Amino acid sequence: MSLIEIKNLNVNYKTTRGEVHAVRGVNLSVAKGEVLAIVGESGCGKSALLKSVMGLMPANAVVTGQVSAFDRELVSLREKEWQGIRGKQISMLFQDPMTTLNPTMTIGSQIAEALLIHHPKMEKEKVRKRVYELLSLVGIKEPEVRAKQYPYQFSGGMRQRSVLAIAIANEPELLLADEPTTALDVTVQAQILGLLQEIQKKLNMTTILVSHDLRVVSSIADRVAVMYAGKIVEIGTRDEIFGDPKHPYTWGLLRSLPEYSQGKEMLFTIPGMPPDLRQDFVGDAFAPRNRYALQIDYEEEPPLFAVSDTHKAATWLLDERAPRVDFSAMDMVHEVSMEEHEHAPRNHGEDPEKPLVSINHLTKDFELPGKKKMTAVKDVSFSIMPGEIFGLVGESGSGKSTVARCIMNAYTDFEGEIFYDEIPLHDRMARRRERRRLSTERQMIFQDSASSLNGRMKISDIVTEPFRIRHEKPKRGSLKKEAAYQLSYVGMDEGYLNKHPGELSGGQRQRVAIARAVATDPKLLIADEPIAALDVSIQAQIINLFKHLQEEHGFSILFIAHDLAMVRFLCDRVGVMVDGEMVEMGETEEIFANPRHAYTKELLAAIPKIGKERP
Amino acid sequence: MIRYYGGKILIFIVSIFVLSFLVFTVSRMAPGDPLVSYYGDRVEKMTPEEREHAENRLGLRDPILTQYQRFLEKSMQGDFGISYKYKRSATEVVLDRLPYTLVLGGVGFVLIFSLALLLGIVCAVHEDRLLDQIICKVGTVTSCIPEFWVSLMLILIFAVELKLLPSSGAHSLRVDTLSDRLLHLILPMTVVVLGHLWYYAYMIRNKILEEIRRDYVLLAKAKGLSKRKILYRHCVRNMIPSYLSLMAISVPHILGGTYIVETVFSFPGIGTLAYESARFHDYNLLMLLSLLSGMVVILGNMVAQIINERIDPRIQAKEAMHER
Repeated sequence: MSLIEIKNLNVNYKTTRGEVHAVRGVNLSVAKGEVLAIVGESGCGKSALLKSVMGLMPANAVVTGQVSAFDRELVSLREKEWQGIRGKQISMLFQDPMTTLNPTMTIGSQIAEALLIHHPKMEKEKVRKRVYELLSLVGIKEPEVRAKQYPYQFSGGMRQRSVLAIAIANEPELLLADEPTTALDVTVQAQILGLLQEIQKKLNMTTILVSHDLRVVSSIADRVAVMYAGKIVEIGTRDEIFGDPKHPYTWGLLRSLPEYSQGKEMLFTIPGMPPDLRQDFVGDAFAPRNRYALQIDYEEEPPLFAVSDTHKAATWLLDERAPRVDFSAMDMVHEVSMEEHEHAPRNHGEDPEKPLVSINHLTKDFELPGKKKMTAVKDVSFSIMPGEIFGLVGESGSGKSTVARCIMNAYTDFEGEIFYDEIPLHDRMARRRERRRLSTERQMIFQDSASSLNGRMKISDIVTEPFRIRHEKPKRGSLKKEAAYQLSYVGMDEGYLNKHPGELSGGQRQRVAIARAVATDPKLLIADEPIAALDVSIQAQIINLFKHLQEEHGFSILFIAHDLAMVRFLCDRVGVMVDGEMVEMGETEEIFANPRHAYTKELLAAIPKIGKERP
Repeated sequence: MIRYYGGKILIFIVSIFVLSFLVFTVSRMAPGDPLVSYYGDRVEKMTPEEREHAENRLGLRDPILTQYQRFLEKSMQGDFGISYKYKRSATEVVLDRLPYTLVLGGVGFVLIFSLALLLGIVCAVHEDRLLDQIICKVGTVTSCIPEFWVSLMLILIFAVELKLLPSSGAHSLRVDTLSDRLLHLILPMTVVVLGHLWYYAYMIRNKILEEIRRDYVLLAKAKGLSKRKILYRHCVRNMIPSYLSLMAISVPHILGGTYIVETVFSFPGIGTLAYESARFHDYNLLMLLSLLSGMVVILGNMVAQIINERIDPRIQAKEAMHER
């Protein structure tokens, strides 16, 4: 028996730049006690779908269609009626636990509030007991103490546990989880997923989980729906989706996971970018990115073809008149969209045996108000060879970025020694003497390209700024030519030269950031979580770009990341940091095959394993 | 804790000390004749000998630093000297006048505080709708007009034309009833409130709108709370600490506004007194008033700081983030 039935649901947003069709005609039904996962990239409408099930859409959204649950029709409910359902029959988990809790209320009172709003007459003593009970149910120890604390005294994982406690306070029948683990560290992610699964089973809660991370989904979902451009393009049981995907998009998503490309030259990528949902689509929205697109894909929207009773996919490839396609042949096709440039792999004339960067006993303290001290990096030593890609992994707050910033001399008051090509970076005079060289040869790329690129500058100005600052004549003659050249180098055409960062997508912005960084022919590139904020299919494109550029230029990369599979694919050597210390370091394959330190083992074990069989 | 408040008190004392020194020296170096306020018009007819005698008597002939030292010693014992104009102890003169200012400024402050909160919430609830737009426009216009001009206009309309309200003083001659005093308060109070109200109301409106867009509001909504409850239990509550600290900083502003208004309405508070004493070099009175005003200003700022640093858990949250 299905608990919730969604029929022909449409969600449109009115924005100043046109109407966005976030959800287009979605049909879904979820059985009681089932876990349905909705996967898709950002902007595919999965969050809008989830929020409209709970009536949490903003005022500028128009929701049409039917959502029936608990013998009611939800779409037409008024705000007053919603208030009786929210938190009692339907609850929601949100993406970022750091911001979803009210910072000025204690955890206990926030949980109590969820209880009291639906049971206003509950006795104080009973409420308190129930709060403690809920806290221990979500695995928070010493609930009596913890209930009196404020959110800032909780870690990210603990906060997500508290939000879960609020969500299950009234034992709802339906739990909606909107990317509940995306903002968390890998090991914490695994704990929260385990907890979610355990509580779901215990309370037999029907769950709809939205995520962009296929690995998260594969470990917990009974059924999986894949969304693209506001539509469900494929739906089936977990094994069907992961074992036998029928839609080329699903197949591409699975294939672009680095696990499937280990040992290969390049990662598999889906070409192009997710579409803009402001347009009216004719035919299959995925057609422009589909290598197997048929004529009809551009003309008529494919219906959901039934593969089995449970498995459906919306692609014309399943029509009996369509040619048979063997997806695995795609494996062979490696997209080489980037032009080959004149750079041959260069050797900068240095001894390949001599490290480019060597760090000896680096320690960095931060002064806190009240004469307290926080040691972000403790006695870390390692070196990066010329042409090497060195991966640095660890949880947030483990000091990875601090190491990077010390090498870039964003921090200069560190203890220990850092040599860059025999220039002592810990020596102020040496830094000054070699200022020009250092600023050319060391470049950095940041995680958030939206805030690291100046929004008021044109792309061409951003890319050529290093030349203007140094009053240097670029190799390609004029600044404009140089900018066009560098952009084409990262796979973007001249049309972007006069745009501003705000008009670009995250992946494109990151390409611009890379183009700017490599414009000066650096010897060392420091990339601080460069792909963490990007969509799955775009991540693979950017990683390929890194690999491509590194092979052409021969520079060294310090690659900071928390996605271990990407690190494994890209890096030659890996260092693992815990609480400011380097606990393990070695050849990538060696570390992944034989992790020694307990934390590394935990980190590797925490990666959710994908499906049972490989596609 | 003891260190924290000890530090604050130390800063307070040092600030007051510096303030007193500056006011003392600057006022004495400013051009003008302090004897005028003591002897009035007679000063013009004084012989040089009489002058010298008078100045010696008031101790005005000594070097400034000696005078300052004497002032410090005396003031430590609670003796602030006599007012040249009133020929009474300066403390007494101030104490006579203080209640008027306290009523005008204090009630004005409470009114501003509560009306701003109310207006801000009303605007936030009706964001961008007609009511909000009207209040915003009217508010911006009123807060832009200088206080003295508003005062004059109000006097012109209500006192001169309509003859409804008295134009000056704290009470009518030979009449001293509560209703009469209240009547005299209306115009100055209106000016004090109008001058500051919108500034704070607008701040509250925007603060609430900022809070409403935070993620925790979505969680509160998901719990099943109504819009009203979310607004009062979460948004307004979270905004109160920053509002309190803002209001603490505003105390000196409102005090300053009161001084101007008192002068325009000839309201016998310490504002008019301060103005006179500075203008006519009534040194002892000026010192006392400066110290009083200074204390209010510094205390206001300190309370704001303490609210910010100690009461709001979000500030502690930031500290905690650094620790990790």
